[in-house]
Amino acid sequence: MNRAAAQSETNPLREGLSTRTVAQPCTIVIFGATGDLTNRKLIPALYNLAADGDLPPAVTIVGFARREKSDDGFRSELETVTRKFSRQPVRDEIWKTFAQSIFYHQSEFGDESGYKKLASRLDKIDKEYGTRGNRLFYLAASPDQFEPILKHLKAASLNETCKGSWARVIVEKPFGTDLASARELNRIVRNSFTEEQTYRIDHFLGKETAQNILVLRFANAIFAPLWNTHYIDQVQITAAETLGVETRAGFYERTGALRDMVQNHLLQLLCLVAMEPPTDLSADSIRDEKVKVVRSLRRLSRSEVAANVVRGQYTEGAIHGDPVIGYRQEQNVKPDSQTETFVALRLYIDNWRWADVPIYMRVGKRLPKSATEISIHFKKAPAVLFNKDLSDPNVLVIRIQPDEGISLRIHAKVPGTSFRIEPVKMDFHYGTSFGKASPEAYERLLLDAMSGDATLFARRDEVEEAWAFVDVIEEAWAAKKDSPDLFFYPAGSWGPEEADDLLARDGRAWRRL
Amino acid sequence: MPAISETHSLGISVEIGKIEKELKKLWEQSEGAMTRASLVNLAVYSEALDSLEKNTQLIAKIAENHTCRAIVIEADCNAKDNRVEAWISAHCHISRTGSKQICSEQISFLLEGLCANLLPSIVFSHLDSDLPFYLWWQGEFHEPMDPQLWAWVDRVIYDSQTWEDFQAQMRLVESAQQEAKQRIVLCDLNWTRLDKVRFALAQFFDHPASHHRFAKIDKARIDFAPGFRSTAVLFAGWLAAQLNWRAEKARSEHKLRFIDPAGRNIDIELRERAGEPISQIMLNSREVEFLVAHAQCGDLLEVSRRKSGEKRMPQLMPAAKNDPVSLMSEELMRGGPHHVYLRAVNCVRDVL
Repeated sequence: MNRAAAQSETNPLREGLSTRTVAQPCTIVIFGATGDLTNRKLIPALYNLAADGDLPPAVTIVGFARREKSDDGFRSELETVTRKFSRQPVRDEIWKTFAQSIFYHQSEFGDESGYKKLASRLDKIDKEYGTRGNRLFYLAASPDQFEPILKHLKAASLNETCKGSWARVIVEKPFGTDLASARELNRIVRNSFTEEQTYRIDHFLGKETAQNILVLRFANAIFAPLWNTHYIDQVQITAAETLGVETRAGFYERTGALRDMVQNHLLQLLCLVAMEPPTDLSADSIRDEKVKVVRSLRRLSRSEVAANVVRGQYTEGAIHGDPVIGYRQEQNVKPDSQTETFVALRLYIDNWRWADVPIYMRVGKRLPKSATEISIHFKKAPAVLFNKDLSDPNVLVIRIQPDEGISLRIHAKVPGTSFRIEPVKMDFHYGTSFGKASPEAYERLLLDAMSGDATLFARRDEVEEAWAFVDVIEEAWAAKKDSPDLFFYPAGSWGPEEADDLLARDGRAWRRL
Repeated sequence: MPAISETHSLGISVEIGKIEKELKKLWEQSEGAMTRASLVNLAVYSEALDSLEKNTQLIAKIAENHTCRAIVIEADCNAKDNRVEAWISAHCHISRTGSKQICSEQISFLLEGLCANLLPSIVFSHLDSDLPFYLWWQGEFHEPMDPQLWAWVDRVIYDSQTWEDFQAQMRLVESAQQEAKQRIVLCDLNWTRLDKVRFALAQFFDHPASHHRFAKIDKARIDFAPGFRSTAVLFAGWLAAQLNWRAEKARSEHKLRFIDPAGRNIDIELRERAGEPISQIMLNSREVEFLVAHAQCGDLLEVSRRKSGEKRMPQLMPAAKNDPVSLMSEELMRGGPHHVYLRAVNCVRDVL
């Protein structure tokens, strides 16, 4: 985050023009260039950056994939998908210039000669387009292809650069499926790229509201004295989806809600909410504080898992009034599948700030509405003045998606001669206050990677610590003796009753969304 | 609710003393279907005849992206009798999420007679509390500048391109700034006009390997439209201020000369051409030519760098639009103290 300032010091013409990070000339090589991620997210994001003038002229894109294709054929396919998925309409003249910088490189991921040819091609592009030997490799292929790709990049010396230029790699999630596989993946990446060269992408961190958590906490002095166990009763994080598994059943059967959402997205959000103030806004200062939060999570023993974690699976029901089938009836799902589509957890951060404050998380598919929100529930005011137990304490809500914003519930006197007190909500909506639409998460993250700002990317130790926490739960589930039940909930409900009981036992309830 | 639905009219005529009450009534009538939003108090002051209607239309467009409490004032300071008329209205649009009508409220005033006396009280009594106060002053400033008014302003917005006498006007603005103990940020729409071309030129020099080119710049050419010489001069001032060039006495109205820290001359030619306010900028650094030009399609800039033996690779970037709504929207998006602007002005003050 501080690189823009540094850049403006060196380029005097940049002073005062913008505070955002400045992307450097480079070639972006996308492995898995014909896949869904490239089509739906990466190319539309790069096009939008170009259309907004945020992409320097000397940025080129090389798609690396197996299928036979010409540069023009590839460009034409990308134009079609960009017109479909771009957040702003595609303008012919901008696309034409943008497309001139896109190339296709056909090769098997395991073919050594393909990488040698890639190296020559990148050198040629550097000379013709002024990309200055900078390379950003984007691993958008399936994780089982990461090892051959990284190995061959190293063999072709593409992980090294001349003085003054750089090579970076963006690794898409999932970063492993457990601690052992994450460590193995990190080892594979480290064999070819240093940690400073590695950018692990979690698109949740690219969202405007996720970034705003830091601003809310550290730019508003009113919250600082309250943000601790003395004033906060509990924290809830909800990531609800109305969608089922759609076309991802094969992946989801192996993964489940805990690995798919909690290990990465939800723990990342928790880190932003719970971290100590960083010493500065550099990537490592922020990530140092985040990793301390994950390290401080109270590890559950296998026997404690059942009391603190509820797993559920949706059965048939209705979403927005339309009947939907149950998870086990979905295509490519085993009829006796034990995969969880819902998980609720109670966890604790054992540090000075958060001692004894329960953190409740829930994530699920086929819930009544799609919403990702964090709520900070403050302690109740003493019931000594108004002859009333103020049962709805102050709640600060950070809405991540959709309808990004922040709200605060406070108590107010109802007009009249009696002393009636009711909760009211003060509400801030990004969409209402700011007319300009936020960029897509991938736009921000790609720009950051091009400018060498790793703040919004996960570091190796963060990922491994998160897996260490989640693995205990997975292991308890896998061990038949202690395996907790899989509870069922009808599609369109807020999960199994046992998830409500998890909070009810503490005298609390899930926030109504 | 006629005032809410008619977003381009002055709305409901109201008594001065009842403005807040009438506004409250207006929102009560909307029965929760609309959300009032405001990030800033934006006062617009004009002495042009019939400016109220024109500015109401501008505010309606600006409010789509910058919710505000607008205070639109038309003043006829030469009128014989003192008179004040007021109206209230709201500008509503559907939010990005498509679920709500978002509304900005506008209070309009027609002042006749002793404008200078009336202006501060009119403005002060209708500010939305705790929000910043931006004053968009259309036209020329006059003496005396009321210190009472300026003490409250956070940003004063003006367009120096319309000024007859830049130096005299700038002196007035700077005196107002001094009255306010330097707190006011000076926002010149003529400077905002240059944002995109400055951005387009700056990006050529982002890579440290290109920085040696600064010391080799020997000439530049700026093409400007009739009436926009001051915009071109301001651009030259920006280059000079940021690259530590010292202005020499102008060789002619269209030829400026600067001296760099090494004592080399840099000549800047200002060329009048029909078209966009700044239609093309060429910067020469020995064998490399940097070009920023408006593309044929108008709202894009074509940027390219040419070196002998190298292929010119033009790239398109967004261009600024030279209409008040776009310029104001751009200005309202920006923050900061505009130090760079003040340095640019100081470099070319004598030739503006």
